[in-house]
Amino acid sequence: MSNTIQEAGDLQPAAVTAVAAPEQIFRTCDITGFKVDLRSEKLIRANAVAAVVSLLLAVTAALLLVFTRYQPVHLLNAEWYYRLVTFHGLNALIFWIIFFEVAGLYFGSTVILNTRFSSPKTGWVAFWLMIAGLVISNYYILIGKADVMLTSYTPLKAHPMYYLGVILFAVGAIIAVVLFFGNLMIARRERTYGDSLPLVAYGFMTAAIIALITLATGAIIYIPTFLWSLGLVDNIDPAMYKLIWWGLGHSSQQINVAAMVSIWYMVSFLTVGGTSINEKVSRTAFVLYILFICLASAHHLLTDPGVSSAWKVWNTSYAMYLAVLASMIHAFAVPSSFESAQRRWGYNKGLFEWLSKAPWGNPAFSSIILAVIGFGFIGGTTGVIFGMEQTNIIVHNTIAIPGHFKGTVVIGTTLTFMGITYYLIPLIFRRKIVGMGWAKWQPWLFFIGIALLSISMIVLGQLGVPRRHWDSTFSGGPFTYNFNPAVDFFWTLMMLGGSIAFLSVCIWIGIVVTSVFFGPRVNGPEDMQLKISPLAPPAKSHKGFEAPGTLVLTFIFLLVFLALFFLNWKWLAATWYVK
Amino acid sequence: MSLLSPAEGWYYKKVSKDEKMWMLIALVLCIMLFVWMVMWHVYGKQNPSSTTYKTNTIEFAQLTEAYIKKNMIGVDNGIPVVRPEPNSDVFLMAEMWRWSPVLVLEVNQAYKMHISSKDVVHGLSIQPVNMNFQVYPTYDYLLEFKPTETGEYKVVCNEFCGIGHHTMIGKIVVIEKEEDLKLYGYENMKKAPVAAVAKDDSAPMSDADKAILGEQVYTLKGCGACHKTDGTVLIGPSWKGLYGKEERVKEGGKVFNVLVDDAYIRESILEPTKKVTVGFENLVMPQVPMNDEELDYLIAFIKSLKD
Repeated sequence: MSNTIQEAGDLQPAAVTAVAAPEQIFRTCDITGFKVDLRSEKLIRANAVAAVVSLLLAVTAALLLVFTRYQPVHLLNAEWYYRLVTFHGLNALIFWIIFFEVAGLYFGSTVILNTRFSSPKTGWVAFWLMIAGLVISNYYILIGKADVMLTSYTPLKAHPMYYLGVILFAVGAIIAVVLFFGNLMIARRERTYGDSLPLVAYGFMTAAIIALITLATGAIIYIPTFLWSLGLVDNIDPAMYKLIWWGLGHSSQQINVAAMVSIWYMVSFLTVGGTSINEKVSRTAFVLYILFICLASAHHLLTDPGVSSAWKVWNTSYAMYLAVLASMIHAFAVPSSFESAQRRWGYNKGLFEWLSKAPWGNPAFSSIILAVIGFGFIGGTTGVIFGMEQTNIIVHNTIAIPGHFKGTVVIGTTLTFMGITYYLIPLIFRRKIVGMGWAKWQPWLFFIGIALLSISMIVLGQLGVPRRHWDSTFSGGPFTYNFNPAVDFFWTLMMLGGSIAFLSVCIWIGIVVTSVFFGPRVNGPEDMQLKISPLAPPAKSHKGFEAPGTLVLTFIFLLVFLALFFLNWKWLAATWYVK
Repeated sequence: MSLLSPAEGWYYKKVSKDEKMWMLIALVLCIMLFVWMVMWHVYGKQNPSSTTYKTNTIEFAQLTEAYIKKNMIGVDNGIPVVRPEPNSDVFLMAEMWRWSPVLVLEVNQAYKMHISSKDVVHGLSIQPVNMNFQVYPTYDYLLEFKPTETGEYKVVCNEFCGIGHHTMIGKIVVIEKEEDLKLYGYENMKKAPVAAVAKDDSAPMSDADKAILGEQVYTLKGCGACHKTDGTVLIGPSWKGLYGKEERVKEGGKVFNVLVDDAYIRESILEPTKKVTVGFENLVMPQVPMNDEELDYLIAFIKSLKD
């Protein structure tokens, strides 16, 4: 491949001004042409490795949990079940995702902006704070001093060190986000990119802004709770705790969404040379995530006392669900960026040639397409429906809720992060991918596994099965209850899905670890196994629809959404009256 | 060009026809979702209530206890059964780890349910109708339920509330006519004066009378959620034959034997974490507020549970 990204974009690296650091801190990538700050590269590597370790911890616990809830095996005892639910939640939703996001933020603010890292030393302080947080929290969970679930709703109380661990991790993450802004500032001042931030960096910036808001919210609730666990504060009101905790808990999912969607655009660029067909639209959608960040948090209080229906309806929608709208916009903009580029490459036949002739053999591409489908069809539809005031009654705290976020955060975010890693291995770790044959299958396996897991959980939840519950036969209780016999089928399906997904993660971790530590070195573009596409040629004419195939796909999505919508409301209408 | 700065003039590029169309549809859908929720408050029959009272755990526990004492018609598996009047206020308390009382409701009648927790956060989940609400301590959530179908319903807890979470299951029975009570073995339950033993201040009560009152305390305070009286060991030791026995207990790391007598039982209830029976170290007993009289009755009840 002769054209590097830099040449393709016809953008010469700006002259380094006198303020800039000495040249030897950089290497120029022989594949992409980007100037890479070596100190930034090291930080990206460290954070990515920590992320993979956290993921391994999380999925190991997940497998044990699946085989506990699968009643014929019922593996763990009650104590260890709840302990590992807490452990799994923290490692999957916090450590894995945030470590990877920090790596992403550093990448987005230095490598693709051709700029240097603002303060590598502080970057290492942040990293070690986060590691300390990880170790302390996990230790106190595993010795049984923090069986409080990820949400740690008061008045359940954990050991003070558990809260301290979470706080240390969060402080580290805040420092990392501040460094991201420092990098942006340097890039701006030294004019290392054009007039506007690249879309990917813009998306990461959105994620960083949201991260600051949510981490600050986290501090507001975790610090008093820490003091309360030390006995210095008398009482933490449980309703206040839940309200503020979700300002962290769900808003932080918007960090994931913003980071994930940024990567979707990045992969469109890398694999087919595509970009958003209208950048203004995509950027506006990113801004909507920031402006409507609180909507999703309020969803957690829909069936709670303390706040009125007017509060609930208004604060989960501000009358128009604009955060949902943002995702719907990306739902069109991301596939259409692929479609438009593919059509310009000449795959113009019919509605879907652009899709059938897409680079399916590229694991990053298939990961992203599958992530888009899973995020939209499983996570998105259920998220909107469960997030409405009344329909929440039939799913609140049931296993359908984790089912929903397996769709968003596992198929969506995790699969996306796994997919982009296939590019990070050669570009950042400078190693060839070992086991490309496996890599081609891994995203499909993961998608099938989590889709089975997630859909089964959603159905089980609709049948009333509670989440975070050790024994759905209620052994030892004064009464018992037999769920609809259909649950047995879905438990089996969930167990199968979980096992398949676990296998897929093991394959992925195997590929990553072998490649990074033992893989042959990448010495130039000829060692690049995944294609980096040149920019798609400009369009010839602009008549009619730019992405008719995408439009059809989004209409199919709409129909699925409406079907699920009416199904849920019909179900709700059949329950007891309540007011 | 998502990795590069956007092309010149990106800000003024026209939005394509299909993207515009999709955004418009999406926006209309989003607004519809909002309107739908509002309209359901007008035409729909399932809406979470907006009424909450601030309370505290002790007050709510007392209210529930008094309510149960007044309206109890019997006991089902150690949990008091109450048959409230339609349109009346009903108390339903969540605690580690039971729902109290069991309710007998009439179909198509409304009941104003006061729901709160005595300790941690719980989740009210009525099955199989699958209706779910959050239950907090210190907040009394007033939900007016109108059951639309007869049958036996279970109340599952679906918010993690400690190690015994999975044993927390209550019951609601919805009947249409009196005969339906037979289906649940409730046909002989009648509202009776709670104190079966008339209290006479002049003469001291007999141990048997005290034990009867003690059993009521056992039921009302929810001891049965953990302590059975038939020898089965669940979350806590069984009380059958407990009195007069030697128990191995742990206090401050030391393990020794102790005789189960009045003083020991009294101490164990008032300071549950002081001496912990060996084998139950990880299952911390909650504080159960009790006055001297109730303690007295309860001890008499434990005494009466011979092997």
